[in-house]
Amino acid sequence: MTTVAPPQAPAELSKAERRRLSEATRAERRFGWLLCAPAVIVMAAVAFYPIGYAIYLSLQRYDLRFPQQTHFVGLSNYGAVLSSGIWWHAFAVTVVIMVVSVAIELVLGMALALLLYYTPLWRGLVRTSILLPYGIVTVAAAYSWQFAWTPGTGYLANLLPAGSAPLTNQWQAIGIIILAEIWKTTPFMTLLLLAGLTLVPDDLLKAAKVDGATGWQRFIQIMLPLMKPAILVALLFRTLDAFRIFDNIFILTKGNNGTGSVSILGYDNLFTALNLGIGSAISVLILIAVAIISTIFIMGFGTAAPGTALERR
Amino acid sequence: MAVVSAPVLLAAGLAACSSAAAGNGPAVLNYWSFPDNSGAIQQAVDTCSAASGGKYTIVYNKLPTDADGQRQQLVRRLAAHDSSMDILALDVTWEAETAQAGWILPWTGAAKAAAQRDTLPTMLQTATWSGRLYAVPYNTNTQLLWYRSDLVPRPPATWDQMISDAEQLAREGKPHLIEIQGAQYEGATVWFNSLVASAGGSILNASSTAPSLGAPALKALQIMSRLAKSPAADPSLSVQQEDQNRLAMEGGTAAFELNYPFVYPSMQTDNPQLFKHFKWALYPRVYPNVPSRVTIGGIDLAVSAYSAHPDLARQAILCLRDRPNQILAAVKGGLPPTLMSLYSDPAFIKAYPFAADIKTALLSASVRPKTPFYQNVSIVISHAVSPPASINPSATLGQITGGINDALAGRGLVP
Amino acid sequence: MTAIAAPGTKTARHARTATQPTMPTGQKVRWGTANTITIAWTLFPIWWLIALAFKAPATLNDGSFWPNQWSWSNFSGIFHGTAFVKPLLNSIGIGVISTVISVVLATMAAYAIARLKFPGKSLLIGVSLLIAMFPLISLVNPLFNIERVLGLFDTWPGLIIPYLAFSLPLAIYTLSAFFREIPWDLEKAAKVDGASQRQIFTNVIAPLALPGIATTSILVFMFCWNEFLLAISLTSTNAARTAPAAMGFFTGVSQFTFPIGSIAAAAVIITIPIVIFVMIFQRRIVAGLTAGAVKG
Repeated sequence: MTTVAPPQAPAELSKAERRRLSEATRAERRFGWLLCAPAVIVMAAVAFYPIGYAIYLSLQRYDLRFPQQTHFVGLSNYGAVLSSGIWWHAFAVTVVIMVVSVAIELVLGMALALLLYYTPLWRGLVRTSILLPYGIVTVAAAYSWQFAWTPGTGYLANLLPAGSAPLTNQWQAIGIIILAEIWKTTPFMTLLLLAGLTLVPDDLLKAAKVDGATGWQRFIQIMLPLMKPAILVALLFRTLDAFRIFDNIFILTKGNNGTGSVSILGYDNLFTALNLGIGSAISVLILIAVAIISTIFIMGFGTAAPGTALERR
Repeated sequence: MAVVSAPVLLAAGLAACSSAAAGNGPAVLNYWSFPDNSGAIQQAVDTCSAASGGKYTIVYNKLPTDADGQRQQLVRRLAAHDSSMDILALDVTWEAETAQAGWILPWTGAAKAAAQRDTLPTMLQTATWSGRLYAVPYNTNTQLLWYRSDLVPRPPATWDQMISDAEQLAREGKPHLIEIQGAQYEGATVWFNSLVASAGGSILNASSTAPSLGAPALKALQIMSRLAKSPAADPSLSVQQEDQNRLAMEGGTAAFELNYPFVYPSMQTDNPQLFKHFKWALYPRVYPNVPSRVTIGGIDLAVSAYSAHPDLARQAILCLRDRPNQILAAVKGGLPPTLMSLYSDPAFIKAYPFAADIKTALLSASVRPKTPFYQNVSIVISHAVSPPASINPSATLGQITGGINDALAGRGLVP
Repeated sequence: MTAIAAPGTKTARHARTATQPTMPTGQKVRWGTANTITIAWTLFPIWWLIALAFKAPATLNDGSFWPNQWSWSNFSGIFHGTAFVKPLLNSIGIGVISTVISVVLATMAAYAIARLKFPGKSLLIGVSLLIAMFPLISLVNPLFNIERVLGLFDTWPGLIIPYLAFSLPLAIYTLSAFFREIPWDLEKAAKVDGASQRQIFTNVIAPLALPGIATTSILVFMFCWNEFLLAISLTSTNAARTAPAAMGFFTGVSQFTFPIGSIAAAAVIITIPIVIFVMIFQRRIVAGLTAGAVKG
């Protein structure tokens, strides 16, 4: 990696030079805001009112079927959710699915990224096929899994001993859900890790090989550290998405037999029970949980987060 | 079918466009209903638009196929006071909550009398809330007992007898399964409701303010538990919905099936051999001397409270479900009608050989609990009784009672 | 890995083409096996969908992995019974437009975040993460209300704008992660030569960012393509309904039959543009790799 000379300390500059510098700083600032403005405007315009409204709703007792009984209840919706065994059960299921699927996907994604990067045979075919699961419409893929695991009609279910209906057994169903998740979203990891792999300079690897480092040592000591930003982005977004898992569970089991995630819980309370207060409170709690997870990630990965440590360059 | 209705569709579309553009032309009534590929609804829409004498044009808008998706879309727009909906096709369990929320209009006076004339009383029950009529029954559905006459010469009269017959067949090594919907969904609630009603009880009390689960419910749970633990239970019982039951019956592994009449034409096409022995009977009883009361299903048509033309919408509804249109829907779409006199109509009987038994079942049918909290109540029940093998009658009864109490009080979360 | 030069670099490519005929069979077999296992893993559920799509309706439920009876009727069914062409076109149009706009906006913002100093940077990242993290189920009804009022309901912009808002956080984050890794002394050299900020951006930096941009484009397009909840809630007719939402309107033979044949056929058809899209972009990433530009 080429190194960048640290910026000169402006301590010895004259007043005129300092004025020119602050001119430049202000220009840089303006340019920075200008570049960010369109993205910010779009995001703010779309998301601020709905998010604000959802937070506002979570403080109300609001059942759509009894609109005239709506009233402010402060944090009691949160109290009701957090003291409910149903919430904690869903939370546990969600965490299990998230941890297991992300861990497997990271390893699998890394292996596939390396395969994509290094394979000398059939590159186009392998690359296209690895990325393909992510491109299949999620609900279609989920239906195909559900059909495959339904006894009688599905080839996978028919491989199991007669009488087993894996989709109605809690832990078997969770296993199937995790499998469907991994199959569907490993390409996401693979793609980001592959792009991260391209940032690892070959000269470093060559030099290390000349020095006698094995493939494994090259991987651990050179590739992984240099891929940290890519791994962070991949892990972060994948974990956030895994925590909010919905489509696969909805189609495979609808959350029945104790396989519901927190998002399914939110959906059930919002759309089925029409309880806007509780449903919004669940959504805000999901947001808080996800924010905590991402904070842990960013702190754990430290300076690899984008936008930080600019001064090092 | 598709070819015939295409030019009709085009004409209706053009008519709608031109009338909207005309401004002073016929009012446009938006009819939101389940997607019907048989063409029956579209044909009814066209006939009624033409017969209105220029007063209105009905536009058929499709909702998603699954009932939950339909409810979601309807609720979202009704809650937003969307005026682009006039006529709504509601499942029989939604009337209480939509009426309570003030989203649909009551029917009074002459229109109400016209709606009630010749209509199945049980269906009218589903359309009534707080003593007022809120919708007009459009079609209905209910289950019969289907059995194989080569295995069982006389159909069993009660559930206990049916399970014993199945156990006997199992001992003889013949096909012996009883096909019933045991998955964790609305079908399980329907099964439970049918059993409780057949045992002479009901899930909620008369004013729908509290559960009234007592001996009848206990008996219902005992039957469900007995079936689930007997050799008569299909190994996939806990995942089965109506279509899986149909497939199992057509596959020849089952002796009995509790299902809707759609299985009849299907068996005729899929397994003509078996069809020769495919017979029907009334839903089994719980007690030998008490007639069974199977749960009723179907669709009611309601007027949105935010419609710009409520009176025209009511007229349109009465036309959409009049006699010719109901026969059309029954013959083409396969769903039983709600006008009682149709059950003696020769054209209908030709398409529905079991019309008489369906009518008997419909006249004594039971409705699911009528409460705005029905969705919550249904989830409580289906989660408690499915998988059926896990039912412990007294414990499950307590679980359901507690759950319904919470649901009716709007307390706690829905799983 | 063996004695061949590290693959991916220009010299490695030349070396490989020169030595390809002499790659030891053992190595070929190992790579071939690894490739085959990978392809089997990724493609067998897709094969199941294809098999379901081609199974004659009567045999849909026979549980066999291979169709016993091949038939086109599922495909003809979705094009006759339900209008499927329009949702397909909607999906492609909305997906492409959303992707292009999103990547452009995100590139600008990511460059600013990775390269420039200005206050409010961490706030921007934090807020965009917040938007990415908030459960969509709660936002659907308020969005529906807004769009109804603004007249955007059931229109292309009515889906494109929310897709932009919900794909930008990922796009910005991904792109800024890559922009950080670009050697910026090239930028300093250009600045010394007198180029303006804008010229530096368009002529020097953007080409270097190509692998990151290609990656982000794929991710954003896939998001828009797969998106279901907004598509089904913010549309009511085929004017703007996308393919995943249209699949929710397929009907089976009876109200109780699940139309798995139609859904499988629709899924197969929808996948074809994806295959094309992926094939194009995977070559872009490779081009970025072998240009060796990023590694200097």
